[in-house]
Amino acid sequence: MITLLDVVERALTGRSCYEREYNNVFSSKLKEVIKEYGIKYDPNTPIPSDNTLADDVFQAALDFYLDVGTYCLDTGRIIKFNESEIKDALKTSPSQLLFGEGMDAKIMVPRTPESKISPWCFLGAGGAPVSSEEVFLKLVEGYASIDIANSITTPALTSVRGMRIRPGSPLEILGTIRTIVLAREALRRAGRPGLPIMNALATATAAVSLNTALHPNYGLRETDGYLIAITAELKTSFDLLNKVCALQSLGYGGICSEYGPVYGGYCGGPEGTVIAAVAGHFMGVLVYRAGWHLIFPIHINYGCNSTPELLWVTSVYAQAISRNTHLLSLHLNYTAAGPCTEMCLYEIAAQRLAAIPSGASGIESLGAAKATHEDYTTPMEPRFAAEVAHAIVGMRRSDANEIVKKLLPKYTNKIANPPLGFKYQECYDTLTGKPSQRCLEIYSKVKKELEDIGLEFKL
Amino acid sequence: MSEKGAIFLELENSIKNYDKEAAIEAAKKALKMGLDPIEVIEEGLAKGLREVGTRYENGEIFMVELVAAAEAMKSAMKILEPEILKRKSERKVLGKVVLGTVAGDIHDIGKNIVASLLIAAGFEVYDLGTDVPVEKFIEKAKEVKADVIGASALLTTTMLVQKDLAEAIKRSGLDVKYIIGGAAVSPQWAEEIGAAYAQDASSAVEVIKNLIKQR
Repeated sequence: MITLLDVVERALTGRSCYEREYNNVFSSKLKEVIKEYGIKYDPNTPIPSDNTLADDVFQAALDFYLDVGTYCLDTGRIIKFNESEIKDALKTSPSQLLFGEGMDAKIMVPRTPESKISPWCFLGAGGAPVSSEEVFLKLVEGYASIDIANSITTPALTSVRGMRIRPGSPLEILGTIRTIVLAREALRRAGRPGLPIMNALATATAAVSLNTALHPNYGLRETDGYLIAITAELKTSFDLLNKVCALQSLGYGGICSEYGPVYGGYCGGPEGTVIAAVAGHFMGVLVYRAGWHLIFPIHINYGCNSTPELLWVTSVYAQAISRNTHLLSLHLNYTAAGPCTEMCLYEIAAQRLAAIPSGASGIESLGAAKATHEDYTTPMEPRFAAEVAHAIVGMRRSDANEIVKKLLPKYTNKIANPPLGFKYQECYDTLTGKPSQRCLEIYSKVKKELEDIGLEFKL
Repeated sequence: MSEKGAIFLELENSIKNYDKEAAIEAAKKALKMGLDPIEVIEEGLAKGLREVGTRYENGEIFMVELVAAAEAMKSAMKILEPEILKRKSERKVLGKVVLGTVAGDIHDIGKNIVASLLIAAGFEVYDLGTDVPVEKFIEKAKEVKADVIGASALLTTTMLVQKDLAEAIKRSGLDVKYIIGGAAVSPQWAEEIGAAYAQDASSAVEVIKNLIKQR
């Protein structure tokens, strides 16, 4: 078993190289394995049913990661693993994890392509920024009120007592503590105090913030989920490893490696992005000893993953991982359009159709309007995402492909200039937490359209 | 084709093929032939990089190729620089830009694309890398007499440093334009802190060109 000390030792003694050299090797090795395995994106099949393609991508990613390893930004050295270490880590990684407490305790399990197992629904804001503690509380209460939510992803507070949170400052630590205290309170208000918070915590960029907030007085639990970022592409740092160190030392099992390979960056096109997405899982199990994985391939220009190329990437990496491992792997979606727009719902449906029939263990939904605009997040879109995810359980990939092909023309020409939509305060009654008539009409209209093209909503 | 035309074409092609070694060799050859290094840049290297920049903007190639082409050009420029100094000649550039990702933020992909596209467009670029403290932006801008400072931030927590930099620029009295970008940043934020805004790498080049015109 590879321990954190082994990882640190390799980060201190591995081959040294400039970051630029690592980036270049990353790109050139990707090209080599793409060619060797004949990986090819097919724009006419956003959701392929080709098992050989999925298995080739998996093998290509294994060869690729064996060659490039992980770059440590602090030491300028490469952390490498051999094939048996990678395979052992994949074998010994957990095939199920328990999250939450009391009535909201639930086991996350892996799925396979076209599986009839219900997906894990990790719902909320995807770390989108919010302007005030009041909006934060209302939103988290709203997410927790979605009956099919298995866990919560909180928004990110951007200020403490009117002061903007600065990275690495006491404001970041205080903001992180406040985030968890408020989130627990919101879950109590929703009557679901045991629901796990699984993005602990978007405000905690620095390890010192997360590690401080781990004190039990504030409310984080062993049964919550802890996201540790992989810096694009396949890089880590001592600060990230410091978070892992604290969590492992406490014996917390909910460590997740989260990774957004950048389409159009060092990954190049869809073929490179999908291989990097699979390789990110290997890095997660080895470098962070992650028990679960959160993947969000992202478009370099549009900041979303609803383009046809990224739907293909989502589908193929989910198939590659679920056919060849028992890893718990969730897909996080970012939409170009904002809340309370038809386009946002079309994007969500397409993204879920790419992930769920392809074998993703579940979804994190979602970062609406790229999760960059303050307060542009509501409970309506994550609810819709979860309903779609449940509706398509057991669906054949070929059927999902046909439905996605009908959805794509509804939004792809607007991805470059998407509608921003509306803020939470404009979409919901902030007193009652009820959606506006406009939101409900859009939601019902798009659901009806989806039913007309083959979805059967069960919830 | 004349010998001179052939070497210009060789330089141009080396960039279009993202071939650093070929670019260095062609630059050495051009110097041996006694060619004006400024002409070597303009008629060979820069022509190639402009073509690569257009290919990137048309979606025909990805960032990897763009950055490789820009690096090939930079390597060839290093060969030519001593001769430029010797001749006391000066390359006409559209402007000098100091670029970096702000302190606390280690994301560099978008910033690297902007740097490459700016070089392709004819700017002189000083890329300070990632996790760059405010003072370093100011020092470099003073040192090179920059026309523009560009600061990138991917995270909502680190974008605040862009505001610190805006204030530091004001305090420094530097006559320099300021542009920000990055996933976390919105036009509203740019307006709030008094900076220009670029939505993506391609638009950054156009915005910076306009900022230069305003000077």
